[in-house]
Amino acid sequence: MADVLVQAERVEKFFGPNKILDGVSFTVTRGETVVLIGSSGSGKTTLLRCINHLEKIEAGRITVNGYLIGYRDRRGVLIEDRERNIARQRRDVGMVFQRFNLFANLSVLDNIILAPMRVRGESREVATERAMRLLARVGLAEKAHSFPASLSGGQQQRVAIARALAMEPAVMLFDEPTSALDPEMVGEVLAVMRGLAQDGMTMMIVTHEMGFARQVADRIIVMDRGRIVEDGPPERLFNAPAHAKTRALLAARH
Amino acid sequence: MHFDWPYFWHQLLEPDGAFLQGLWLTILISVGGQVIGLVIGLPMALARRSASVFLMWPARFYIFLMRGTPLLVQIVFIYTGLAAAGILRFHDITAGPFNLSGNVQAGILALGLNEGAYMAEIFRAGIDAVDRGQTEAAKSLGMVPGQILRFVVLPQALRIILLPIGNQFNIMLKNSTLVSVIGVSEMLLVTETINSATFRTFELYSVLALYFLALTSIWGGVMRYVEWRMDRGAARGDAAVIGMLQGEHI
Repeated sequence: MADVLVQAERVEKFFGPNKILDGVSFTVTRGETVVLIGSSGSGKTTLLRCINHLEKIEAGRITVNGYLIGYRDRRGVLIEDRERNIARQRRDVGMVFQRFNLFANLSVLDNIILAPMRVRGESREVATERAMRLLARVGLAEKAHSFPASLSGGQQQRVAIARALAMEPAVMLFDEPTSALDPEMVGEVLAVMRGLAQDGMTMMIVTHEMGFARQVADRIIVMDRGRIVEDGPPERLFNAPAHAKTRALLAARH
Repeated sequence: MHFDWPYFWHQLLEPDGAFLQGLWLTILISVGGQVIGLVIGLPMALARRSASVFLMWPARFYIFLMRGTPLLVQIVFIYTGLAAAGILRFHDITAGPFNLSGNVQAGILALGLNEGAYMAEIFRAGIDAVDRGQTEAAKSLGMVPGQILRFVVLPQALRIILLPIGNQFNIMLKNSTLVSVIGVSEMLLVTETINSATFRTFELYSVLALYFLALTSIWGGVMRYVEWRMDRGAARGDAAVIGMLQGEHI
């Protein structure tokens, strides 16, 4: 693989005595769109949250752009890195949450320019200029001065995508981005994501939208009880699923 | 029952200079104590929430101590106790026409230290009440803890704790009478002094009670106005109030 952007090697994660991730390994190359599917509790959301170190891992390693995420390698032993270094690593990894998590105290525009100004040290003018371009892209330019509470769920999620993109991340993580939306708003969010995929953004998406997964994914990873049970192009998984779990998931949701 | 109405009206409407001086001291001590309480409260709340035991335990102990002992005892301890032990003596401070006597300083400090513990708990509750998703989103954008606190969590927490802080100041106004025990001539002590000369106890304490009711009512009005502004702001989804609280744009 020529251009590996995200790499996980034998990642293990426990919540108390429960093994949530059980030796997970995968790679994502630049420009790829990878969709993670699996029943709830299979570990797909946790895996996504480990990639920007919102969750610690107990074993294995995750790298983004070649940088070890969340830990320092001290003669083979991984020690959790300092908060400041982890924050720096997160700049490269955009994340969109199921519940949007727009900053409730800030306008749409301020939501988007906060991190570029405070984290990247951009001027207000530069940050605002990019924010307005991104808002136009997600179709919400006229909402720049609205507050999150006055937007619909679909609009909030589109702003959240613009906010993540404003940091110009190398990879975007989507954690069930349409699960909290009313059905009629799912389409507008998926359309924005489809556009990103077409523009070559590297994306990892946890979703239950199987139709979308089939259309947009370059690869689908199927998880079950903390393990990756199948990993391949959508055509193969949809037409000739190798694992019983894959068959069950696709049958139930398709 | 005999109630000397003319004396009552006279004291209420045309109180002597000493009483007005006492009113001024009551306000000064209350505001001073509250400001110190606020200044102590936030860092103490952060220390209390800290993962570091070297921050968490001292903060916990401070809150335990201040909330577990009587304020009256704390006031005497800080002014009389520390001086008797030769640890700290409060000297009068004079700057031009202004004079802040030692016992007033000690009174403000004691009220402030006590208030700080309550403020710490209020700040802590407010910070905890802000949705965790807000912090996670800020982290995912590469912000460090100080930035997350300043730009995301604190502005939202302040909104939540504004009314509890207002209630605390109402209590502070009334607790300020306790510093009379170290000889601060606030309204209660002035009233006692006048009473010892006139023995019109019922009339004098009625006036005192009415002055406190006036102070707490004015403060209650201020809080109702702030609450109204916040509700209106929330309904419209505008930033006026939040901006006001934040005191600064990003």
